[in-house]
Amino acid sequence: MKTLKTLIASAAILFTSLTSTAQTADEIITKYFENIGGKEKLSKVNSFKMSMVTNYNGMEIPVEVFNDKTGKMYVKINFQGKEITQIAFDGKTGWSTNFMTMKAEKLDSETTENMLSQIKDFPDPFLNYKEKGFKVEFLGKETKEGTECFKIKLTKDPITVAGKKEENVTFYYFDTENYVPIMTEAEIKEGPSKGQISTSTMGDYQEVDGLFFPFTMNQGGQAMTVKKILINPTVDAKEFEMKTE
Amino acid sequence: MKKSVLLSLLTLSALTTNAQEITLKGKELFGDLAARQIGPAIMSGRVTDLAMHPKNNQIIFLGAAGGGIWKSSDGGASFVPVFDKHIQSIGTIAFDPNNPDNVIWAGTGETWTRNSVSVGDGIYKSTDGGLNWTNMGLPKSDRISSIIVDPRDSNNIWVGVLGALWGDSEERGIYNSKDGGKTWNKIHYIDNKTGCSDLVIDPTNPNIMYASFWEFRRTAWSFNSGGNSSALFKTTDGGKTWNKIHNGFPSGQLGRIAIAVAPSNPNILFSVIECEKENEKGLYKSEDAGKTWKHLNNDFALVVRPFYFSRITIDPKNPDIIYKGGLNGSISRDGGKTFRNLGAMHSDIHDIIVDPIDTNRIYVGTDGGMYRSWNNGSTLDIVKNLPISQYYHITLDTEEPYNIYGGLQDNGSWYGPSKSDGGIEARDWNSVGYGDGFRVLKHPTKKIIYSEMQGAENIWRYNVETKELKTIQPLQEKGMAKLRFNWNTPIVTGLHNPDRIYAGSQFVHVSDDMGASWKIISPDLTTNDKLKMNQENSGGLSKDNSGAENHCTLFTIAESPLSKDIIWAGADDGNIQITQDGGKSWKNVTANIAGLPKNTWCYHIEASNFAKGSAYAVFEGHTKNDMNTYVYKTTDFGATWTSIVTKDIDGFARCIQEDYVNENLLFLGTEKGLYITVDGGKNWSKFENNMPAVAVMHLDLHKKTNDLVLATHGRGVIILDDISILRQVTNEVIASDVHFFKTKPFVKVENSSFGSTASELEFVGPNPSTSAQIVYYLKKRNTFGKMDMEIQDMNGNKIVSLPVSNQKGINIVTWDFNEKGPKVAIGKTLDYSGFTTPLVPAGKYKAVLTKGKDKYTQEFEVINDPKSPISTASRAEQRTTTKMLFDKVQNLAFMVYEIDEMIQLNEKIVSKDKSYAKTANKINAELNKLKNTMVITTGDNYVGSAEKQLREKLGAIYASIAGQYDAPSPSQKANIESVLELFNKAEAEFKKLEKTHLSKILEKAKKTNPEYKLKTFDEFIAG
Repeated sequence: MKTLKTLIASAAILFTSLTSTAQTADEIITKYFENIGGKEKLSKVNSFKMSMVTNYNGMEIPVEVFNDKTGKMYVKINFQGKEITQIAFDGKTGWSTNFMTMKAEKLDSETTENMLSQIKDFPDPFLNYKEKGFKVEFLGKETKEGTECFKIKLTKDPITVAGKKEENVTFYYFDTENYVPIMTEAEIKEGPSKGQISTSTMGDYQEVDGLFFPFTMNQGGQAMTVKKILINPTVDAKEFEMKTE
Repeated sequence: MKKSVLLSLLTLSALTTNAQEITLKGKELFGDLAARQIGPAIMSGRVTDLAMHPKNNQIIFLGAAGGGIWKSSDGGASFVPVFDKHIQSIGTIAFDPNNPDNVIWAGTGETWTRNSVSVGDGIYKSTDGGLNWTNMGLPKSDRISSIIVDPRDSNNIWVGVLGALWGDSEERGIYNSKDGGKTWNKIHYIDNKTGCSDLVIDPTNPNIMYASFWEFRRTAWSFNSGGNSSALFKTTDGGKTWNKIHNGFPSGQLGRIAIAVAPSNPNILFSVIECEKENEKGLYKSEDAGKTWKHLNNDFALVVRPFYFSRITIDPKNPDIIYKGGLNGSISRDGGKTFRNLGAMHSDIHDIIVDPIDTNRIYVGTDGGMYRSWNNGSTLDIVKNLPISQYYHITLDTEEPYNIYGGLQDNGSWYGPSKSDGGIEARDWNSVGYGDGFRVLKHPTKKIIYSEMQGAENIWRYNVETKELKTIQPLQEKGMAKLRFNWNTPIVTGLHNPDRIYAGSQFVHVSDDMGASWKIISPDLTTNDKLKMNQENSGGLSKDNSGAENHCTLFTIAESPLSKDIIWAGADDGNIQITQDGGKSWKNVTANIAGLPKNTWCYHIEASNFAKGSAYAVFEGHTKNDMNTYVYKTTDFGATWTSIVTKDIDGFARCIQEDYVNENLLFLGTEKGLYITVDGGKNWSKFENNMPAVAVMHLDLHKKTNDLVLATHGRGVIILDDISILRQVTNEVIASDVHFFKTKPFVKVENSSFGSTASELEFVGPNPSTSAQIVYYLKKRNTFGKMDMEIQDMNGNKIVSLPVSNQKGINIVTWDFNEKGPKVAIGKTLDYSGFTTPLVPAGKYKAVLTKGKDKYTQEFEVINDPKSPISTASRAEQRTTTKMLFDKVQNLAFMVYEIDEMIQLNEKIVSKDKSYAKTANKINAELNKLKNTMVITTGDNYVGSAEKQLREKLGAIYASIAGQYDAPSPSQKANIESVLELFNKAEAEFKKLEKTHLSKILEKAKKTNPEYKLKTFDEFIAG
């Protein structure tokens, strides 16, 4: 009886250890790219623009996000028909709109510096991650969102927090059926929650020009629904430039 | 043993053969159901160990007795929990001096070995600054006292293991790993009763270490500190050989020994020694690295309760400044010759650390939280965001919102609300007892609270209204055997007679006049084992008769909800007894429980709501070093019992709660958290959503709200709001692709938005959600493809879209009863009205979930707040007025849009035909003049704000009316009238201008043909 039980137990351990060592981070990432449309297609993405809505006080607030490979980016929200650039970066200067005066103001230099270091993330931090100097590590399986996932640790270039360089780690959970991320976790680096983990989830992957993108996201409790994604759109350079009155 | 293997095999085969079993476990089932941690942090709880980053004094780690590990990144101003997934009893925390930013080690299992300590399960390592932790072994260490990482080599780690408190164990002594914790070797061991209570390293030579060993043992009824094996050792070869260094030590048996090396001078050591003779106890000093010792001091502050206080901290720069943990904590500035108490703070000081950069700054861990001081402990300030409070028990009342009553380790008794305006803050909690608090009961109908302190020294009856306070504990009477009360004495109010109260000594006492007079309704229901009643001699070398070891006492009393004559009583010595005739006769049914080891503590009996003969009993044997789970059910008054334990449950259990509606829904509180079964105990799932792996001491289920409320011994009160969804989880539900759960009608709760007073450094417990919660089950996560949700009226008209939740298991989508907000006129600034949405009226609605091609619909009801005095007619008037103003706001927006379009069109024409400029400018001037009265066109959103115009005036009254539930007041009506007059005037003016100019502009436009298309009103609103 006892031998039988031990046998079953050791067989189970053997089985799980076999399957888990059979997976490497690179295999998971390779499959991920295959499943979202292929590395080649993704490499041809120079920019994208996402139109989303988020809920505020029960209202749907339109949000538009643009990113390109040179680091240009903006997040615009639409309040009461007024388009407000919440945050933007022209590749050199990061700025935001002050909600009291509605005027553009420069972001602090540390935030701008960190934005510069994020240029490499485009269009996907895992794309050619080795060339980017990023590191990945497979940490095993975990159940997230009720679903079995591969946990991958991605270490990007360090960011600066309050004057000090800190490690920049994100944990990705790839669902073991589809090999796409359904959750990420990262350390909160500032404020009263510093040292705790913030969680983002992503789902409802849908096809846009042969590539799959998550159409629902929840970042630290803030839900976003994507309405439309444009790949390689034309955007006026003025959109990123800090407006001076 | 054989039997249990057989049993588990049987269960295994039962599971595999019956495909209909609910096999989903917690992480795949509970989804969005999450616990709510409401603290309180006002009294906080026991802190066992503190550690500061050696080079960055912003970073502090804190280990709690039962509340896990917390990290501060702001120099101790505030803390966040970082160890919730793991066992919450912490012995020690250490930085890797070679990589202190990233590598932190934690030894679990508290080493301040009071009766109520929780257990540990090994050593943990974090390599990312505390974000993630991995168990690195020593699973049976039970309590780890010290961890040292070699300052030359991060892979070389020494660990002091104190070991098991309640039994023999060979996993004690000093362990060493040479491979970063992958493997461990025991390098110094005395015997199975003696563990390493302190391990410290020479700050200049890592080959030199000092280790104290302590012989100690606790039973449920006694404690022993000391023996021939306790000793102090030194190694000079990195732990290969250890020699006793007792030259100058007291003679005879030794107890707990504290040891510290001065960071600024490694030859200076201090030791606090527990020994046989009173005059030899206390502080010893060596000035030659342990070769010889000199006795300095045996003040009370140094010798008090060594098992509880044994920490010496020496100032990093000055070897003459020494701190010692104790009842009050003390400081010496003359190298240990004399001491004075530290400043005012909670008593029972377990650890003190000194900031190496600014040595005036110290941090202190106490029974009541962590304190910080900027002047070496003269004055101290408590950290206000550490909800590590250690509840023993809780009960609930029937108020709205209901209150939670309970007592805590060394922190008295309290009650506070389950929700409060602005969140549940420190100010919401009320103190209703001193000392160690345990059971606190609200009189079922009167404004009276019963509370107690240790061992029923006092049971208070407190009238909250009149403030009358009386002690009512059963007292010794003539001819009565000496009463024995447990440290945590059971008291229970009657379910059938609100003035009734039960109390348990070795007897069941009952009072029908709220404690004024008592009668005993049972014989001695315990084993009455005289060998276990020798508390006067408990403690070992230091006598410790606090009352905490009183034994052969009743611990749980349960009156059947179905009959006042059926009463259950359970004792700490394992007895379980029942009367079916109100106490006339009792039956000992202990022996009927097959498989339960003798004398296993009967912790909790839950009399069933469903049948008179049914009850659950939870036993736990951890005080006999038995960590197994014992939970039984009887349906025949205790004649036979069935175990409802499965291998899903990890660790010993203390309490169970039966649902009031679904007999198969049970909640089990264990040493490591909360377990739930929906099938009467055939399968258990651990509940981990925002629920730390904390010891759950008691559970209660609120009858009206269906909230499950947990008393945790280390993380305060934790609530699982409205568990009624779990009543509906069946095999059929789990088999379906999508299933909507039935919900009670959603209440549009009329809340105040006032309340918050706390700073961001204070803990505030979150309130329960007041949103409508649409709850559905998904068999599979929706990772690919579209899924969305709409709220519709019963005719299928869309009200709003909601962001969906798409995980496998239970999903919750919340809706705040809002409709779409109005489209407001575009101005220079933002208008508040644009952020105000009307709320839907009470009635029936539909949630429509679209997943790919499939649609799933759930109807639900929205009702008005039953406590609201507002009449239906008033609500209808509010709604009509809101609607009218909403339309005006949008009409104004459209007019402003049309004006803007006309102005732009004129400009476009001018750009192509300059001759038109004069006319265009004239028209635009007229249009702008009107627009300037309609909406703010200058200024900013703050103090640069311009004079309010029509949009702002209309918006203000719209937002007021839409934001209230009542009909507009006469004053509001008068205001509406004046605003509408302005509106009508503006509209008339607009129509006039439009009539005069629009056709002309359009005529002109035809010639130049600029791009121009005016939206219709509907297009404008939709866009």
